[in-house]
Amino acid sequence: MDFLKSGLKTVLGAPEPGQQPTGAETVERLVERVNSSTLLDDRRDACRALKALSRKYRIEVGAQGMSALIQVLQMDRADCEIISYALDTLCQIVTPEQFDEEADNPTVSVNVGEQFTEMFLKNSENVTLVLGYLEEYDFRVRWSAIKLLTTLLANKTKDIQEIVLVSPMAVSKLMDLLIDSREVIRNDALLLLIQLTKGNANIQKIVAFENAFDRLFDVVRDEGCSDGGIIVEDCLILMLNLLKNNSSNQQFFKEGSYIQRLAPMFTIAPETEENGWTPQKVSNMHCMLQVVRALVSPSNQLQIISSCQKTMRTCGLLEALCNMLMGSGVPADILTETINTVGEVIRGDLSNQEYLSTVMAPSNPPRPAIVVLLMSMVNEKQPLSLRCAVLYCFQCFQYRNEVGQASLVQTLLPSSSEVSSLTAGQLLCGGLFSTDSLANWLSAVALMHALIENPAQKEQLLRVLLATSVGSPPVSLLQQCTTLLQQSNYKLQSKVGILMLLSTWLSHCQVCVKAFLSTPSSVAYLIAQVSANEHDENEYLIQGLCSFLMGICIQFNDNSLQNNKREDLCQLIVKRIGLEMFTAKLGDVSKHEAYSRAAKQPQIRAKSASELLLDYEFCKLFKALESVITKTVNGYDVNGPNLTELTLSSEASDLVSQYKDIIREQDNKMNDMKQKIAALEVQNETIQRQLTDALTANSQLTDQNILLKAQLTAAAGAGAAAASASAEPEPANPTTSEPHVALNTQISFYQSENARLLEEIEALKISLHDKSRNSSSVVEEFEHLKKDQEDLLELLTDQEKKILKYKQILQNLGENVDTEDELDDEDFMERRETTSTSLTSTDDHPRSES
Amino acid sequence: MSYAYLFKYIIIGDTGVGKSCLLLQFTDKRFQPVHDLTIGVEFGARMITIDGKQIKLQIWDTAGQEAFRSITRSYYRGAAGALLVYDITRRETFNHLTTWLEDARQHSNSNMVIMLIGNKSDLDSRREVKKEEGEAFAREHGLVFMETSARTAANVEEAFINTAKEIYEKIQEGVFDINNEANGIKIGQQHSPTNPSLPGAGNQGGSTSSGCC
Repeated sequence: MDFLKSGLKTVLGAPEPGQQPTGAETVERLVERVNSSTLLDDRRDACRALKALSRKYRIEVGAQGMSALIQVLQMDRADCEIISYALDTLCQIVTPEQFDEEADNPTVSVNVGEQFTEMFLKNSENVTLVLGYLEEYDFRVRWSAIKLLTTLLANKTKDIQEIVLVSPMAVSKLMDLLIDSREVIRNDALLLLIQLTKGNANIQKIVAFENAFDRLFDVVRDEGCSDGGIIVEDCLILMLNLLKNNSSNQQFFKEGSYIQRLAPMFTIAPETEENGWTPQKVSNMHCMLQVVRALVSPSNQLQIISSCQKTMRTCGLLEALCNMLMGSGVPADILTETINTVGEVIRGDLSNQEYLSTVMAPSNPPRPAIVVLLMSMVNEKQPLSLRCAVLYCFQCFQYRNEVGQASLVQTLLPSSSEVSSLTAGQLLCGGLFSTDSLANWLSAVALMHALIENPAQKEQLLRVLLATSVGSPPVSLLQQCTTLLQQSNYKLQSKVGILMLLSTWLSHCQVCVKAFLSTPSSVAYLIAQVSANEHDENEYLIQGLCSFLMGICIQFNDNSLQNNKREDLCQLIVKRIGLEMFTAKLGDVSKHEAYSRAAKQPQIRAKSASELLLDYEFCKLFKALESVITKTVNGYDVNGPNLTELTLSSEASDLVSQYKDIIREQDNKMNDMKQKIAALEVQNETIQRQLTDALTANSQLTDQNILLKAQLTAAAGAGAAAASASAEPEPANPTTSEPHVALNTQISFYQSENARLLEEIEALKISLHDKSRNSSSVVEEFEHLKKDQEDLLELLTDQEKKILKYKQILQNLGENVDTEDELDDEDFMERRETTSTSLTSTDDHPRSES
Repeated sequence: MSYAYLFKYIIIGDTGVGKSCLLLQFTDKRFQPVHDLTIGVEFGARMITIDGKQIKLQIWDTAGQEAFRSITRSYYRGAAGALLVYDITRRETFNHLTTWLEDARQHSNSNMVIMLIGNKSDLDSRREVKKEEGEAFAREHGLVFMETSARTAANVEEAFINTAKEIYEKIQEGVFDINNEANGIKIGQQHSPTNPSLPGAGNQGGSTSSGCC
């Protein structure tokens, strides 16, 4: 402190004795100095003092000094020391934490750091300036710049990300920091990049483009892979940031052969097995598993998942994971995560699934890994998360794996050769009847996954017989499930499991429905449950599931069982429950919170065992069938059987939809033709109008012609009379020569007039000829159009006939043809008739005229 | 899969000229007539052989829209090759080439090989830019030129492979500093150090493989 005071003294000069300046005043004077001093040394000293004061007088320094500090960053580039002071001071001002020094200062609010960050970000150039200092090799500057950027990012992640994206080379500069030989720089740069890549796909891609994976793997390798320190974990977290939900980077990771670099890191050294795992190793391994899962997560693009899965098998990563699964000394939470990871690596990939089925546990006697896993699933003493993970892994194993599904059911079927060893099927059946309700649920769901989209196994499972007690005859699994449902000591969770199993089992399988309905008291139990009036959220769920099962029994009923035909069951619902109530109860399933929880993702997540009620695949089935069942049941009429589309067999409904398509197509064609006819009518009208116009013009011209002819003859007569009159009196009376000359001129006038008129007539004749030719061509065109129209009409009648035929076929098929269609047709026929009559009437018109 | 060299490419050019389709045709050998706008940048990869050497191409297909321009600029520096694409049926995409080229030259390393591509050559009836114009532009700016069709796959392979050849030749000539990864070139494990002063090997391979173009 003494040093600081003396420093202050040198900067500010000795204070007047007895007059201690306040903090604000001191800061003001220092800022003034930074701003105006011409000597670099003075400015540097002032900056150093500001840095020291910024912890205690953060608000004063921030409010007054920020612009001065930014100015330093702009002007004093050359002096590393002053730059590092300025950067450090800014970092202190914007930091979100509260300093000890300002704890007793009431004016410092909680988010003062954030407010100063906002101020700093007002001009994005400021950030670019700081980014620029990353290139400065000097340790103090580079490190301070990293720290400042990290703090700014923590406060305003989005804003900084946007600025970084638009500053050219910003990411390159950041990436270069990863190869800085000074570990502090490299490590802090890692933290900065982790912050920067959070939730911004574009930055993630650029970082990956700048060889991030190479550099990160290099760092991981240099630090000792999974045995390394927290830096390894940081690298893996950054990798995870780059890969999660970023398909482009996932593709790049796969194509860049980075999976191959990941694989050897999962090999556990023998000494680790003996010495146990350090907490850091547990964290590192956890992150590594997350990286693997980010590549094959079920929410990724399918082609990326499958190509990554293939690579993971071929490069030995799957093998390494399975070794970890079967190895000893692996901590429980890592084991759980490994099981989840193995699940996602094999999910839907037949070769990987096959690989897992061949993995043997190093137990005595050796057992398949799957059996060992299932053993821990049905074991009450195992932790919940582990049991859930096993179920998830087992589901992934069954997912789109007909071979795996078949081999599981096979272990339950009575076989000729006695199997002494424990099988998966036996374990699951044991789990189904255990006293641990979670084991019941897990086993029911596991068994259910062996049936998904596999009709053959649904039928096979009907053959499974159980020996319940010595001496009594064996009962079928289906029967036993029904019995279990009715046992009062069988817990709710277990019942939910059994109901999901039954629903999946019976759906899309008429044989299974028949077997279920033949089981004594099955229908009675369902009806009793659905009509029950218990008011409890979980009871609602049971009732809903029972209505769903009831609906499945109706939907996939082949009507071969007396008293349990489709309409019998519908009748039962109408009379005993009521349609409204039935639909409402069905709807309760999807309203339950367990439904939305389960439908979110395939992985099973639960904080407590009681949360486990519904399963992801079951939710999918429910979603697909709920509306269908509602329609079927509501479509059933009390007054008698009503054949609706939904009750038709699939072939019949296919046929119906085919015909519907044909009808729709023809309807479209018909509409097209109607439009064409209308267009032609319009065309016809205009042509007729043109024709009448031409005809009137023609007659006018003829009239004119006649008039002119008359005028001409009149003029010729007058001219002749005048000529004879003038010829006679000429010799007799020469005195009349005056009028004679006048007459002569008149005659010549008339003659010329005559010639002109003749010419005019000639021209008119030509034009008349043209006009008449025109009109005849118009008539011809009209004739042509009329013919077209008749053709179209013929086509229409054909279509109509076809429609009638199809209708006939449809009726033969038992489909109630909509009366609307008929009405439409009649309507159309009428319209067609009127149009044709009007057409013929307009037809006659021009013909008579011409 | 091991490789001798790895080249980073970028594809640039106006929106809708068919950049993503070119990439899809090259990596998956298929054409997708309806494609969404590329958002930011997408990645694709393929292995090719030049001069008997396996070469891995990592290709970043950028968004052509102006809004993404600042993002796509970040990819220029680290790329060894760029395909600059225009659409022969839209004159304006050709007119914008100068801007693209300036941008690329400003932000990339000076050795980046740029290939000018006139895409959609299958739509000859709607052509607005003559082939000669493309050739002239390429000559003027020192680019390699080619007309392609992502629909019929005509010249698509050649466009990517010829660019790689050009880069490969530059490496042989020692123009590229292959140890600097910022140039967009990486040496793989498979690489057996051939002596670049032996021009016979390089030339021979170059002439045999150039038969396909």
